Amino acid sequence: MRPSFFHHLHPPTIPAAQARWRHTLAAGGIAIFLMLILGVTGILEMFYYVPNPEEAALSVQAITYHVPFGGFIRNLHYWAAQLLLIVSAIHLLRVVFTAAYGQPRQFNYLLGLGLFVLAILLDFTGYILRWDMDICWPLTTGTNLLKTIPLIGDFLFRITVGGGEACSTALLRFYTWHIFGLTIIVFILGFWHAFRVRRDGGIAVPPPQLRVVSARISRNELVRREALAIFVVGIILILMASLLPAPIAPAMTGKPGITEEARAPWFFLWVQQMLKWGDPFIFGVLIPLGVLILLVLIPYIFPKPADSDIGRWFPKSNRFAQIVVGGIGLIVITLTLLSFVP
Amino acid sequence: MKKTLTPASGLLLLTLLFVWWWNSRLPKAVELTPTLTGQAEYCLTCHADVPEISPSHPTATFGCVTCHGGERLALDADLAHSTMRGGANPSDLSVVEQSCGGTSCHSGSEADDRHHIQRVMTSIQSTYAGAIANIRYTFGAQTDLNAYSGITTLTDEQTQTGIASLAAFKAAGDDHPFIQKFGENCLTCHINATPLEDENYTRHTGCAACHSTAQHTFATAIPYTQCNTCHNRGNYDLRTMTFVERTDQPTKRIDDYYQPIAQFTQCEYTLDCVDCHTRTEVMGNGDIHANKKDIQYTQCKTCHGTPTEQPLTKKLTDPNDIAFTLSFLNPVGDLKLGDMILITEKGEPLWNTRVLSDGTYELFGKATSQYFTFNPVMGSGCTQSGDDQSSAYCHECHAVER
Repeated sequence: MRPSFFHHLHPPTIPAAQARWRHTLAAGGIAIFLMLILGVTGILEMFYYVPNPEEAALSVQAITYHVPFGGFIRNLHYWAAQLLLIVSAIHLLRVVFTAAYGQPRQFNYLLGLGLFVLAILLDFTGYILRWDMDICWPLTTGTNLLKTIPLIGDFLFRITVGGGEACSTALLRFYTWHIFGLTIIVFILGFWHAFRVRRDGGIAVPPPQLRVVSARISRNELVRREALAIFVVGIILILMASLLPAPIAPAMTGKPGITEEARAPWFFLWVQQMLKWGDPFIFGVLIPLGVLILLVLIPYIFPKPADSDIGRWFPKSNRFAQIVVGGIGLIVITLTLLSFVP
Repeated sequence: MKKTLTPASGLLLLTLLFVWWWNSRLPKAVELTPTLTGQAEYCLTCHADVPEISPSHPTATFGCVTCHGGERLALDADLAHSTMRGGANPSDLSVVEQSCGGTSCHSGSEADDRHHIQRVMTSIQSTYAGAIANIRYTFGAQTDLNAYSGITTLTDEQTQTGIASLAAFKAAGDDHPFIQKFGENCLTCHINATPLEDENYTRHTGCAACHSTAQHTFATAIPYTQCNTCHNRGNYDLRTMTFVERTDQPTKRIDDYYQPIAQFTQCEYTLDCVDCHTRTEVMGNGDIHANKKDIQYTQCKTCHGTPTEQPLTKKLTDPNDIAFTLSFLNPVGDLKLGDMILITEKGEPLWNTRVLSDGTYELFGKATSQYFTFNPVMGSGCTQSGDDQSSAYCHECHAVER
């Protein structure tokens, strides 16, 4: 049977050992599926969303309560976005914990990291588009953090938010960043990332002479596994979107003010927790940036994993990178949990 | 793997069916687009059984959100109610300006007689200035009976007849313990205060304290029972500075009055309070007043006259006369152009009265529509001096023993 276009996107065969669920956790594939869901549901929301400060929150309410299946679509968009962050983080951890970032995959590791950052920014901008009372604090604090950066802070603030106060211009800027600016970069980096997976020799495995298992699976089997992952994630998403409504709050009246409960979106709670400790530039900008730089440098500053360790869980030769990344993960989770302590 | 895919896709299909079924269970949204706002609102989805509040505020015109606030599009109760003004009572004085105000509504100009909110805010019903001044004077916190404090800070620099300002009453630590107890126990009657918890005190705050006589009803026909939620539920015990609730449950109107030694004439226990007491007396005139006697002026003679003077009357010749507006809002009787009605010494129309051709008068109960006739004092044989007309003098002869 000649492969279809969809089959053709996949390599003819891949190593059976590294194609197992417990190896990939299906994280990369699920991330692509979630992005597709986000694209489709996002486009559907654009038919009704009005990016204007007076009407934005009301249009979100209209989508949620009055557009046929609008609430379901919005919930799908929301939960897919939250799952994407979790799945991306799992994907990153899998790559580090299975020593899959080494030569020649260093560059693709960076592309993946870039996509992760973009996913966070997309989630944040999407959160702001609600333009209701709950977004006041994150909007004001998040954008003011930009201003604390010496020399270029004001410039960054202007290109992301617009001139003057964070008000009417901010919504249009965030909207454009969300549906166009960031999304188009995700498209480019996403295709590049997938292309580089093939170009770098497919999923990370030891060289042929060091492989314990030489069995391979066909692309048909791979596509079937992907389909199963899609069904499972699809069912979970549909149930979440039906039973767990995405957050919504009363429309903002007038300019954003910090009167409501000041809580960042969940993925920035760790930064919010650090902001309680002092200087916003150090805790709100430098440390998160430091974490990102550390992640960027992983393939370059730590010892190269041994060839025989590539594609194996928790190999000894990159233990140090595992400890650093695992430590970052634990600290982020701890700070997030701490933010719930009154 | 192929064997797994089939049940998985079946399960996905089942999940989609579940979503469809789940969505079909949601109530069908009921839209209302009030003509005043032109903006759709969906409150009736859940509140279709709420009666229209008054003929002056038709639901089709005002909708719900104009007065109540709230998230007009939300179908989730918590979100929809989250921004409601004053909880269930948008007329609470803390939010009344947003809910009931506006130049075309109830915070317009005095010339248009649309300054209701300004009047209520400064009235003794909401400042409680007289009671506070008396207590502070009695227990040495001030040296005269002038009003210096009210429930909230108020200023009126333009005032012609009233007080320029009141400071917010707050019992200080060095005040007499009784003033502090007064602050704790005795501030439940002014109309910004939440009343005591007892069904006999049941009333709202703000405008609704007087005008909402039943659930989601606004009326100018205010029965005496509404006034009783403050004025007849007990008394203050000055020895302990506590409010003593009355424990009896009177069934006869004449017994419903709380002052055990008070005397009443027939009209005082037969009519409703609003049949004699005017809008200005109850809601104020826009000036800050020191106490009740500065604003309450209706006496027996207002309707009955004295042995030497007939009560004041006015022939209704202007179709825009305020008497017709008031009569329209509470249609008792049948007021017509050319009718002669009684008016007060300040010119307020007693629009529910009429002078009859034989020189006697008729009155329609504002809350009951009951029909009464009554006579002038002049020519009755009464010899009471025209200068001594407070009710105590009239009670000497006309009080009903109980």
